[in-house]
Amino acid sequence: MRPLEGIKVLDFTHVLAGPFATRLLGDMGADVVKINSVARATAINATNNPYYTMWNRNKRALALDMSRDEAKEICGDLCAKADVVIDNFSVGVLDRWGVGYDVVCPLNPRVIYVQMSGMGQGGPWSDFVTYAPTIHALSGLTHLTGVEGREDIGIGFSYNDHAAGLHGAVAILAAIQARRLTGKGQRVDLSQFEVGVNFLGPALLDLFGNGRAARPAGNRLPYDEAAPHNCYPCAGAASDDVADERWVAIACMSDHQWRAFCRVMGEPEWSKSATYETATARVSAVEELDRQIGLWTSQLDAVEVMARCQAAGVPAGVVQNSIDLAENDPQIVASDFLMTFDEPNPVLGTTYGDRLPLTFGETPCDIYTRVRDVGEDNASVLSDWLGMANDEVVSGEIDGYLA
Amino acid sequence: MKQEVGALSNVRIVDLTDERAIYGAKLLADMGADVVRPESPNGDPLRSRGPYCEDDANEPSLWHAFFASNRRFISLDLEAQTGRDQLAGLVGNADVVLVSEGAFGVAEANLEVALDVNPALVCVECSSFGRDGPWKDFLAPDLVAGALGGSVSTTGDVDTPPLKAFGDLNFIVSGCYVAVAALSALYHAKETGQGQRVDVPVHQCIASCLEHVLMWYWYSELLGPARGQSLERRGSLHWSNMYVVMQALGGTIMVTPTPDVDAQLAWLIEAGEHEDLIEPEYQDPTNQSLFMARLMEVLRSFVGTKDVEALFLEAQSRHAPYGWVLPIEKVGENPQLEARDWWRSYSIGKHMVKGPGTPYQFSETPWEMKPYIHTDVDAEHVLQDLGWDDNR
Repeated sequence: MRPLEGIKVLDFTHVLAGPFATRLLGDMGADVVKINSVARATAINATNNPYYTMWNRNKRALALDMSRDEAKEICGDLCAKADVVIDNFSVGVLDRWGVGYDVVCPLNPRVIYVQMSGMGQGGPWSDFVTYAPTIHALSGLTHLTGVEGREDIGIGFSYNDHAAGLHGAVAILAAIQARRLTGKGQRVDLSQFEVGVNFLGPALLDLFGNGRAARPAGNRLPYDEAAPHNCYPCAGAASDDVADERWVAIACMSDHQWRAFCRVMGEPEWSKSATYETATARVSAVEELDRQIGLWTSQLDAVEVMARCQAAGVPAGVVQNSIDLAENDPQIVASDFLMTFDEPNPVLGTTYGDRLPLTFGETPCDIYTRVRDVGEDNASVLSDWLGMANDEVVSGEIDGYLA
Repeated sequence: MKQEVGALSNVRIVDLTDERAIYGAKLLADMGADVVRPESPNGDPLRSRGPYCEDDANEPSLWHAFFASNRRFISLDLEAQTGRDQLAGLVGNADVVLVSEGAFGVAEANLEVALDVNPALVCVECSSFGRDGPWKDFLAPDLVAGALGGSVSTTGDVDTPPLKAFGDLNFIVSGCYVAVAALSALYHAKETGQGQRVDVPVHQCIASCLEHVLMWYWYSELLGPARGQSLERRGSLHWSNMYVVMQALGGTIMVTPTPDVDAQLAWLIEAGEHEDLIEPEYQDPTNQSLFMARLMEVLRSFVGTKDVEALFLEAQSRHAPYGWVLPIEKVGENPQLEARDWWRSYSIGKHMVKGPGTPYQFSETPWEMKPYIHTDVDAEHVLQDLGWDDNR
């Protein structure tokens, strides 16, 4: 038994943020029914798109053509049965489909109705369209993730989509817990923008409390003294391509770790200077410190630097790329974190995934079903949720409103 | 002092976390759980993380005020039997215990025994790499965790090292997973009476939240075989080539022609700045990559002559998801956040500081920011809740 078995989720989400939230719930045993349609299953929402396969495992697939009244009626019936209804459309789409919160709540007062829009309900920007790079830009994450003088770098992947998905899952589970006390469901308004701004909490308190506006700090800690604290070039690049470069991250968080690091380096003369004796001094001289360390690491293999540092109690790690993670990471291998789906995808063939990174001692989450095609589970979903007979489902599929 | 209104009222939590999991405890505390955070008589080391009120290290830590919000603090001398008994009392009275491997009180909490005494207890244990494996004893602050987890290699440019994101965003991810684990196991415990331990390794948490990184490794033959299985860091240019930060007048802006490339082209034509994009060679479907590359070039010229704010608002009025790259002081003045009454006042000792609101809003169980008490003045109440009177 998985921990969330028995929870019914009606999933209208698309792209990444919303599907990641419902992937988590599905991995933990919730019955997640993904609503899609032939008309909408295009580009990265196509069920044979690798992007789609990453975020939509462990869900059942129901096809509803929401331009049809028959589909809207079925959708309303499903909403009445759901514990959770979730979407990440721009504001107003589910209202137009006739299953907005004001319609669903009277039908199902226990429903948790989650709207993961870009900007939240209400406000002058509520209709704005966002993807994660938009949110990164508007929230300050792009401006602050870089080096001095370069406020145009930002995070190299859609971090905020994952983060919004995680917060969506937290909100759903908290609302379910609240329902246990109140007997009522509720509406959860999750603004992906507010999720992103929230991550700058200490920097915003510093802005408003001390009047200091944070600026990009590279790999240094913006408010604490720690040095060395950076990524350093290593030997062993397979080519001159940036993608093949080898780097190691080293982070001495105390003077004790610094002294241990000096021993790892063989206590070179430069390291004995009073310039580097304290964290404050090292931060003041960090450019020369980084240069000296880079000269040392650039002669060595990144794995070797990591191993020698960690053996001495110095935090260090290879800057791992996708090949490192998938092929060279002994911890990933030991935990069996990456896997192949048992059942081939009808179009893609073999598909792959990363397991839920949570290990439940009593309710293991070790079931992984492949991504389902549009409407592949029409019959089972409509039977389980609404008691609909198979011939009715077939009729709807032929007619087109279940497609 | 019981909390009455939050979604997690009546959930009792003991918080024995460090940076790796403290954000999870914050999420639960901010939703009304009664979260007690024990610390040593020398104080929580996380109280020494900057920035500080009045920019003075003798004043309360703003970092701690944010991440340890809505807690009750209690100082415990775990060298003494009394302190260990008090910790056992707290754990025995809890629904959930959150721990970071090696943090204060974790060894003394004796979770195996606690689960024997209270079979419905949920114990969420966050570690850098899990209980087993060749790296299980590796030390990994946020930068190193991000390096090994795969996030650092994605970020930076050809003329910079690989970069971590600003703030402890790797530990935000593991913290979120801690909250997910706690609430899922709590749901199961409430349904069945069965508690359990849940392991949360930071390393796998980070690797699970890398968007394209593993996808590209697995499906590069479909997605772009010429680029290999591992993509390079390249500034703001998205792995899809469709999002990039461009220079406008007065600032920078993230520009993308997605999701409606035709609408973007129509906008350029309307502005008379489409250059050669409607030439026949670009209309050939087999030249789609060529067209997209040229479109991004034309957009760079188009954007470079526009006022950044006006361009951003114009794009959004056309449902184009451009994003103005805002410095933090502009974020602090954002009209959307103001209109949604998002900001909160943080009471931090003698200071009142404006700060972030909640990442989600509940219609029935609103969020509340309680005063952050710099000391453990709550300890007496915490012990009274456990039935410890003054004599004891």
